[in-house]
Amino acid sequence: MIIVKDLSVERLDKRIFENINLSLASSDITILKGNNGSGKTTLLKTILNIIEPSVGSIYWKGKLLKKNLYDFYSNVTYIADRTSSLTRLTVKDNINIWKKIFLSNINDSQIETALKTLRLENYLNQKVGRLSLGETKKLELLRLIIENKKLWILDEPLSNLDEHSIELIKQTFEDHCSKDGSIIFSSHQNPGIYVTEEINL
Amino acid sequence: MKFLVNPSKFNEIADYIFKPVLILSVILFALGLLFSFYLSPDDYQQGSTVRIMYVHVPSAWLALLTYAVMTLYSIAALAFRIPFGFIFNTAVAPIGAVFTLICIISGSLWGKPMWGTWWVWDARLTSVAILFIIYLIIIFMNLSFENRIVREKVVAIFILVGSVNLPIVKFSVDWWNTLHQPATISKLSKPSIDPSMLTPLIIMTFAFMMIGIAIAILRIKTEIISRKSNLS
Amino acid sequence: MKFLNKIIFFFYREYKLNLSGFQDILTNIIFFFVSILIFIFSIGPDEEVISLIGVGIVWALLLLSSTLSLKKFYQDDFENGNLLIIHLNGFSFGFIAILKTISHFLFVQIPFLLSIPIACIILNISDDKFFYLLTSFSMGSLTLSCLGSISSSMNLMNHRNYLLGSVIVMIFSVPIIIFSIGIINIEQNFNSLINILFGILLIVFAINPWASGLCLKLSLENN
Repeated sequence: MIIVKDLSVERLDKRIFENINLSLASSDITILKGNNGSGKTTLLKTILNIIEPSVGSIYWKGKLLKKNLYDFYSNVTYIADRTSSLTRLTVKDNINIWKKIFLSNINDSQIETALKTLRLENYLNQKVGRLSLGETKKLELLRLIIENKKLWILDEPLSNLDEHSIELIKQTFEDHCSKDGSIIFSSHQNPGIYVTEEINL
Repeated sequence: MKFLVNPSKFNEIADYIFKPVLILSVILFALGLLFSFYLSPDDYQQGSTVRIMYVHVPSAWLALLTYAVMTLYSIAALAFRIPFGFIFNTAVAPIGAVFTLICIISGSLWGKPMWGTWWVWDARLTSVAILFIIYLIIIFMNLSFENRIVREKVVAIFILVGSVNLPIVKFSVDWWNTLHQPATISKLSKPSIDPSMLTPLIIMTFAFMMIGIAIAILRIKTEIISRKSNLS
Repeated sequence: MKFLNKIIFFFYREYKLNLSGFQDILTNIIFFFVSILIFIFSIGPDEEVISLIGVGIVWALLLLSSTLSLKKFYQDDFENGNLLIIHLNGFSFGFIAILKTISHFLFVQIPFLLSIPIACIILNISDDKFFYLLTSFSMGSLTLSCLGSISSSMNLMNHRNYLLGSVIVMIFSVPIIIFSIGIINIEQNFNSLINILFGILLIVFAINPWASGLCLKLSLENN
């Protein structure tokens, strides 16, 4: 699906990373490993065409990414390392807004089961600002199910999560892969998730 | 003409022309002051105060010219990805601000004996005041951003947006009935100014231009060095 | 059809967001009225003087209080990453700027438009002047929203000097104020001046997506 060739990014004449090669077919999982400040987020943003690479090119479904941008964006879910949920609104309102702006065709019972497995069903009418860090992260990951797209790009999805939730994420990843989806995620360690490719930055 | 867009070429040329420009500006200033104080006549209406013109008009022209050149460099920098434009903008904005300030101060010194007031809110004076504030905003923006890439591009965009003020300054005396007199020198018609007054005006304009170029060379060179060592 | 739905639901999101922060908008309006109060007492409660300069006071204070909410224009959405999500959802940055400008006009400027009648009653402004004030502000407020979009997108990465954004809006809104007050004071020129105001609106509306879009892209790129 996505092929990255000889990618290098420079910032203020400082090289952040160079010569990254990556190819992701459907039902593949790629992990980006690296220390803090090694450029994991920059690489993900470059793949999302937010940051211009100084050298190298990215292809999506055989075409240059820039020429195929609309199709790419309609197939990708990006979850940043910060929470995008609106802290002033309740969990329910946030889910409703997401369902509407992503034109999701998912039904309420699916969301309910997802909430139950994430153990968030008791917080439906709470304001997001009052949830704990891990709970907001889990709510953020609920967007994966709501958006229901092929390619998942996740920035530090495992931070702040307990073991039960990490186990859940493992299963979700496997489910997604069995449905021909593919995943790129960044993390500084791998807690036993099955990956097809590992990139060290 | 490559030295106008290439930092290292600019450095080479600047080393050659800096001293001549400085000497030329000193000579022109001496000559211009001599002309404007002793060799030009008094105005039959304004008397000796007309000599303020020899500072006021050149500084006003150069304030506008500086902004116009900054606009051109912003377009070049944004559209054709010439980073020298950003260097130029950062370095030259304070010079333009000083020219505008000289223009405003000398103008109000001229206005007090002629119009009987330091300041009136007519179109020309207001638009020049706005030009001065735009220069100040550019300087403050240059100081307050932490990220250099964002800073220089945002400042370039701001310069482009602010350039709508330039034609307003230029044509305000034609579009509105103002206290300020219309332009005496224009390309299309014969200047309505006596040659004995025109000579010191031209000399002073070139003197201002030379001193401006000399300071600009110094500031641009400093900017290039500080960028190379990643100070800003 | 899909695109239209996305636009509608973008406004639904803005509506929810502004509803939850309704006290902020209300605070803006309270600021407006309190500053009218302070203005009246600083020049003395002389009815003739007040009705003479009342229109100018209303316009100046409208401008000042609408610049108060500038910091929230893009800042919240920028910091929690929603701007990026909306972009990935299929809107270009320029289009986001247009949508955000319209939403700012709807949710911040319309409340001001509604509070103008009350201000006119307080300040003894006559009916025909009230009509001119309303027409000039309904046109000028959209221009102010566009300017606000430009200046707040410029200052997204400016962490030291927030006030600069308000100064930028105020310096560019000088012509709007000149022509709006011109409408009210020179009534026979109504048509020509309203045309000039409309022209300014169109120019700023055309610059807005370009300038804001570029600034948004830059800020997201370097965040």
